[in-house]
Amino acid sequence: MALIKKKKILGAAIPTGSMADIAFLLLLFFLVATVIDVDTGIGLTLPEFIEDAETVPVSKDRMAALLINENGDVLLDGNVISIPQIRTNLKPRIESKIELDSKKKLIVSVKTDRKTNYNRYIQALDQVKLSYFEVRDEYSESKFGRKFINLSKEEQDDVKEKIPIIISLAEPEAVKK
Amino acid sequence: MKFSKKRASTKQEIPTSSMPDIVFMLLLFFMVTTTLREVDVLVSFKLPEAKAVEKIENKRLVSYLWVGKDSRVQINDNLIKIEEVKNIMYGKRQELPNVIVSLRIDRSIDMGFVTDIQQELRKAYCLRINYSTTVKI
Repeated sequence: MALIKKKKILGAAIPTGSMADIAFLLLLFFLVATVIDVDTGIGLTLPEFIEDAETVPVSKDRMAALLINENGDVLLDGNVISIPQIRTNLKPRIESKIELDSKKKLIVSVKTDRKTNYNRYIQALDQVKLSYFEVRDEYSESKFGRKFINLSKEEQDDVKEKIPIIISLAEPEAVKK
Repeated sequence: MKFSKKRASTKQEIPTSSMPDIVFMLLLFFMVTTTLREVDVLVSFKLPEAKAVEKIENKRLVSYLWVGKDSRVQINDNLIKIEEVKNIMYGKRQELPNVIVSLRIDRSIDMGFVTDIQQELRKAYCLRINYSTTVKI
């Protein structure tokens, strides 16, 4: 007498028809949850914090003093100009110093009042950066025939050495006390 | 004479057997690129616009600092006082020596406040900063 139950063995297969649907659902979830926002902004390096920092005298023709006062007026070396004019004023001055050695390049000193609006400051800083980028682009085009961004690493370093971005952030008067 | 339409004898079906594989590939891509650790931003702010912007290539180096319309400062998930910025950022710099601080500051803030934050960052030796802006077209 055989008491063992006999089971019919069916083809042991996992139904894969709905696999695509499940995967699509997961995909949809991640598509919705993903935030592809690239951080964009104006990069700067702050100077180190030193108590009683020494002041080094810098010759006048190296400096471009940019002051944004509390009313939002922009003064370049004491003359009132509009924001788009910053670029047209700075570009020739950067260009004239390309061939000079690294200790004679232009320094842009950006100074603000404590009451200056942040947006205004960013607009001015943007113009300064833009003028540097344009000079770099033009220099790369004349030397390598390509825009700065398409150059190789070594060529970029070469251009960076010729046209360094030196922006000095002067502290507002009230901070010094 | 009887005209009968000729039908193509090939099957008119798109092979769907590789569909899951393709979808899984896509899924994997999104899973890898997703950064799920999102901070709840507790302050409201509107970024300024700029043209000469740079992208931050390495997101892992970035640490955020928010300043809202009402001059409240947020780092990580908490609102903090401006005096605390130094200690928190110093701790962050210990973990990531070349941390980039992305400053997400509302456009209506005074520069005096921004300078105070910058002074704190300088004391904490977080010298690489980035003024977060939106791209002006």
